Amino acid sequence: MLNSKIPRHKLSKENQSADRLSDLQPGEKGRILEIGGSEQFRLRLIEMGLTNNAEVCVDKFAPLRDPVELIVRGYHISIRGIDAQKIAIERLS
Amino acid sequence: MNYSIAIAGNPNCGKTTIFNALTGARQHVGNWPGVTVERKSGKYKYSNDKIDVIDLPGTYSLSAFSAEETITRQFLIDDKPDVVINVLDASNLERNLFLTTQLIELGRPMVIVLNMMDMADEKGLEIDTNTLATLLGAPVVPVVGRNSEGIDLLKEKILRVVSEISEKSRAIKISYPRDIETEIEKVSALLAQDNLSGFSPRWTSVKLLESDKETRDDIRALDSGQAILNQVNTSVKRIELLFKDTGRAVLAHARYGFIQGAIRECVVEKIVDSVDYSRRIDRVLTHRWMGLPIFGLFMWLMFKITYDVGAIPMDLIDSGVAGLMNFFSRLLPDSMFASLVVDGAIGGVGAIAVFLPNIFILFFIIAILEDTGYMARVAFIMDRIMHNIGLHGKAFIPMIMGFGCNVPAIMGTRILESRRDRILTVLINPFMSCSARLPVYVLVGGAFFPKHAASIIFSMYVLGIVVAIASGKLFSKTILKGMSKPFVLELPPYQRPTLRSLMLHTWERGYLFIQKMGTVILVGSILVWALGYFPTKVEVERDYNSERNVITAHYSQEMDVLTEKYDASILKSSTAYHSVMVPYEKSERYQELFTQFNDLKQENSELETAELYALRQQEVGDITEQKWIGKIGKIFEPIVAPLGFSWRESVALITGFVAKEIVVSTYGVLFGVGEDVDEGSQGVISGLRSSGMTPLAALSFMVFTLLYTPCLATVAAIKRETGTWSYTIFSIVYSLGLAYSLAFGIQYFGGLFQWLS
Repeated sequence: MLNSKIPRHKLSKENQSADRLSDLQPGEKGRILEIGGSEQFRLRLIEMGLTNNAEVCVDKFAPLRDPVELIVRGYHISIRGIDAQKIAIERLS
Repeated sequence: MNYSIAIAGNPNCGKTTIFNALTGARQHVGNWPGVTVERKSGKYKYSNDKIDVIDLPGTYSLSAFSAEETITRQFLIDDKPDVVINVLDASNLERNLFLTTQLIELGRPMVIVLNMMDMADEKGLEIDTNTLATLLGAPVVPVVGRNSEGIDLLKEKILRVVSEISEKSRAIKISYPRDIETEIEKVSALLAQDNLSGFSPRWTSVKLLESDKETRDDIRALDSGQAILNQVNTSVKRIELLFKDTGRAVLAHARYGFIQGAIRECVVEKIVDSVDYSRRIDRVLTHRWMGLPIFGLFMWLMFKITYDVGAIPMDLIDSGVAGLMNFFSRLLPDSMFASLVVDGAIGGVGAIAVFLPNIFILFFIIAILEDTGYMARVAFIMDRIMHNIGLHGKAFIPMIMGFGCNVPAIMGTRILESRRDRILTVLINPFMSCSARLPVYVLVGGAFFPKHAASIIFSMYVLGIVVAIASGKLFSKTILKGMSKPFVLELPPYQRPTLRSLMLHTWERGYLFIQKMGTVILVGSILVWALGYFPTKVEVERDYNSERNVITAHYSQEMDVLTEKYDASILKSSTAYHSVMVPYEKSERYQELFTQFNDLKQENSELETAELYALRQQEVGDITEQKWIGKIGKIFEPIVAPLGFSWRESVALITGFVAKEIVVSTYGVLFGVGEDVDEGSQGVISGLRSSGMTPLAALSFMVFTLLYTPCLATVAAIKRETGTWSYTIFSIVYSLGLAYSLAFGIQYFGGLFQWLS
């Protein structure tokens, strides 16, 4: 288990004003700039392939609008909206 | 030669299918020590060799974030299987390779299995297996696990790797950015001086740079541990400074760098005109408006099938148990031992065995939900709701299952990945009103609220849900605070399940239930039997036999009077009879008198039976009062008196601890109707009504039954799944306390309302 003293990762200055994954609507794509939040959360996402520079497409929302389904590296993954807010992205058209 | 292999891979990669294809039916399911993660092992034979196979839990990485990851890591390091079989989903290669990069570093001989080749083909992925093998430094075997294609080749490759172990050492390493490699070398150099057996120095250094707690603890225990850790701390600081991120994150990114390079070299993606069936199905099943109603329909069907189809063999098992009881009671001379075997063991276990079909059917349906991939969608669509109670979306399934029986439901919490979620779901599950509690509501509700029985019963279910939600919120804010895992859920493509794997899954879980019946429930049933059997000789003050004689004498006298009257009437009417055409015995007048007399006779004997029956009820009640069970009931009577309960309720509740359906049969015994009663029995209903129980007490009795300590089997399941006595005892105390407070509240405040009206 991770040491609980490990601080939460704050987004770097240049990424703080960037769009967040939670801003994307179904069908929209983005490129991950940086993931904030607890070390455990960040690592889980990175291990699942949501690395910096990875392309992410929002596939759809759950019936109650949360969580959100994403397509990354050719497979489908779901995270909560509150966590999607911690992911800084650059919109791709 | 005998050797051992371990199968590792991501969840949903078809690992278990490969395991089943290798071992066939020769497998054993147990638990990893101390945790509720299933441990599957099996064997197979290949060219005179015996091979032991372990199916490791599915994991995305070896970071030791979860019990599954820790187990996998620990097993690979400590048990050193001769070969590690890394199963990859060929249609989702990129993410699957992440675990592979970590396995390579562990340094065990490996065979890579590219599973689901058919799906990769459909996606238009062309994989150059030779290049991949060179890049990963391990043989690559493409297979389609579902129809065992390529399994023989896999067995051959495994054998070849085993026989070549000594000749070849691994030459492949995952290369990291140069600045990291420098730090790895510095740490490895120090480690090499210590000549650590069993650890690959590279793996250990990488883990140390990732600030992996367990590896650090291992190193700290060494003589030169502090010196190594000092170097590690400097290296970690340097990496963090250079990359502006933690060592773990940097290394994880670097692994994906390696993977992307490998994919570029050996995968060609053709553009194919194929239909993504999975997305099409999802468009309906997780649809904005239809998703939830469809899920509701599936849940309803699951219930319907479980109980309707399960009811068919129920009668068969019931009569089987009855036959068995009959057989043994004839075989054994009438003795204490006979009663122990027949009433205690067979009767007790038999009462639970009738639920076996339900449980097996339920597990079969759950296996379908899991194997098709729908379970992940359940988590997806229910997460918003379950998140409110601090739970993962998947936790909804065991909660719903709880309406059937809490035992399989609590065992079903294994579908949850985090231990904290599992414990929370286990703790609130008993409040979901299981089917065994229904007969109690029907009996008591029917006896005291005949007009509103249905709404009273329904409100019991609602109360159970409310208590479960409230308790869930309470626990997640107090005793289980802060242990929550981030919600990261893969939604794998839908798959057609194989019957074989469905059967295996069903059997594995059903077997655990059978095991429980043979142990905990058997002992519990014998205990309740003993409490009701001893002491064998009891003194009853009232002379029931002479009272019985009085009743019999009274009614036979009545009968004599009746006969006399009848004879007189016949004589009178026959003398007055004059017709020659019709003999007297056929006359209307005679027929009339005859029927009249018969009716009176019958009425008389019915009255006699009823009076004897009522007496017998009182006698059995008096006798039971003298037995241990009654004495215990008496002891607890003052405690339950504020709830409006008598010693009878206290006995019923105590025996209900073995299984809640026993509450009804205990009432049967207490009111002398016999054990073989159901909720519609008039004897018990009239007994309850005349026992002095008030409707208010009846209501608090139902609430108490709903909430109090789950039955013995459930307690055993809680112990098994939480793995500790502390949570088990907490569950018992919490539910007992809650039941008492609520029942008391109803009695107390209800009393106020009665006074007002």
